[in-house]
Amino acid sequence: MNRSRKSGWVALTIVLIFLGGWEAAVRIFEVPVYILPSPSRTFETLAANPEMYLQASALTLGESLAGLLIGVLAGGLLAVLLTLLPGLEGGVMTLAILMKSTPLVAIAPLLTIWLGFGVVPKIVITALMTFFPVLVNVLSGLQHVEPALTDLFHSWNASRWEVLRHLRLPTALPFLFAALKISAPLALIGAVVAEWTGASGGLGRTMWLAYTNLNLPYLFAAIFILAAGGMSLFRLLGWLERKIVFWLPDSRES
Amino acid sequence: MCKNFCLLVIIVFALVACSPAAVTPVATEPVSTPMAEPTAVEPSPTAAVVEPSPAPVELLPMTFMAGYKPQANLPFVGVYVAKAKGFFEEEGLDVTVEHSAGQGQHLQLLSAGTIQVTNQDAAVLLQRRADPGLPLVAIALLGQKGQQAYAALKSSGIESPKDWEGHTVGYKGTPPPDLFALISAAGADKDKIELVNVGFDPRLLTEGKVDVYPVFKSNEPYMIRSWGYDLNLWAAEDFGVPSLGLTYVTSEEILETQPELLTRFLRGALRGIQYASEHPDEAIEITLTYTGPETDPAHMRFMLDAELKDAQSNLTAEKGWGWQTQEQWQALADMLKAEGLPVEDDISSAFTTQILEAARDK
Repeated sequence: MNRSRKSGWVALTIVLIFLGGWEAAVRIFEVPVYILPSPSRTFETLAANPEMYLQASALTLGESLAGLLIGVLAGGLLAVLLTLLPGLEGGVMTLAILMKSTPLVAIAPLLTIWLGFGVVPKIVITALMTFFPVLVNVLSGLQHVEPALTDLFHSWNASRWEVLRHLRLPTALPFLFAALKISAPLALIGAVVAEWTGASGGLGRTMWLAYTNLNLPYLFAAIFILAAGGMSLFRLLGWLERKIVFWLPDSRES
Repeated sequence: MCKNFCLLVIIVFALVACSPAAVTPVATEPVSTPMAEPTAVEPSPTAAVVEPSPAPVELLPMTFMAGYKPQANLPFVGVYVAKAKGFFEEEGLDVTVEHSAGQGQHLQLLSAGTIQVTNQDAAVLLQRRADPGLPLVAIALLGQKGQQAYAALKSSGIESPKDWEGHTVGYKGTPPPDLFALISAAGADKDKIELVNVGFDPRLLTEGKVDVYPVFKSNEPYMIRSWGYDLNLWAAEDFGVPSLGLTYVTSEEILETQPELLTRFLRGALRGIQYASEHPDEAIEITLTYTGPETDPAHMRFMLDAELKDAQSNLTAEKGWGWQTQEQWQALADMLKAEGLPVEDDISSAFTTQILEAARDK
């Protein structure tokens, strides 16, 4: 507890030094606001439009979490399926990599044609973005059980299901958290990218409007919110990991 | 019950009057589901007559997608104002306004029938019709002049396109045909000019990364001047190069199956434009309800004023907002062809005055 509080202070200090240096540089070199706004100007913009940014953030966060949930469930379930039916792995992974390699910006209008102008296409894009890291990580987690333990389970005459339930899934949990730490910040980006390609609300739309007006304080205010959101999600996952995967030593405590 | 029936009779009558083949009661179905068989549509002098609905009746839903983010482009303002002032409602329409991110998806959605009307630059419309063959038809030509111009900082000493030689000239995406036409019309040598892709970022001009920057006349000049720079501007039409601006555009299928819907839309939107020209302050206030707080009202006013100016010509003085002729479109097509771009041989299906006439002959 003491240690994590200390590391929190260290992190805060580093962030403050970074922001201070940025502020000083903008003032000393008199950088015009349409090139790079100062952090103070950015925070002022945030403070002047709390309602707008709150609404936009809530929408984007909602889309991100919904997409993340779907992506994680789909990736996790598919990984389990491929472990139970290893013959399918080659085909399914090819398809997954194909999907992963598709620039989602290019297919966003197609999703609008099929799913309308609302939040559904944004959630689908976020799910598509977050699903792959989960699939790959969880699959390798499920497959990387110690052979000695597999042999032991076989000697007990354990069924394929029992091996999965009591051996493979617990082994895969740390892998799932590793994947989540990648996918959660990615989910925020996914929702923003989806909104950037056409939306009637959300941080992505705010950023797109601000950029096309070259109103950079508004743009950076949204970036600050996203950075804070990504960091909070990451820390929340770290905390959950320590609670759920309690049998593994925490890298920070050791 | 009787009210609905009467409305249906009126609408069916109107459809019969303006397009003999389209007798299916399209109005009672979702508008994106065309019911009638595609047939050749002939411009009909006996235009449809639909009384503005006095009692609250079911409005016909449709979607207009603005071709870019919310701002004071004239086609957008016409729709914003018509919606806010109830002009569409008087026409019996419930118009939903969507905005495209500006990467062509509004044309895709129009071709797919998801939306009924959008707006598009005339030169791009001609090119997309030829390749990949999108079924686009301009129902009104608002921009009687093109939207583009080229800007240099006054302090750069670049006084004419001839001076561009030895300098860098930016373009957005692909070099537009009017750029080459302008260069040769001004007597400059394009081989002595270095072209660079700059995307949307006028800061590249003020930071000296590029000497001549492509602008939309109604947009970036305001921004750059507000940063304290003076500009020299050159537009294709100043050098006798034909150029046209934004159109209201629909698809061939919607034009065939729902001309009445388009007529009502255009009547409302042109009324919105007329209102905006008479009450620009109020039009900007309405526009700002779409744009959000990151938009500068003075910038929007500059945009509206500039586009209202370019929407007026001898032709529109005689015939009204949005009028268009074969002559205008042919001149533009000839210029594009001369620059080696794909354009259909017969461009007469790329635009129609059928809806303009019907909207006017109320």
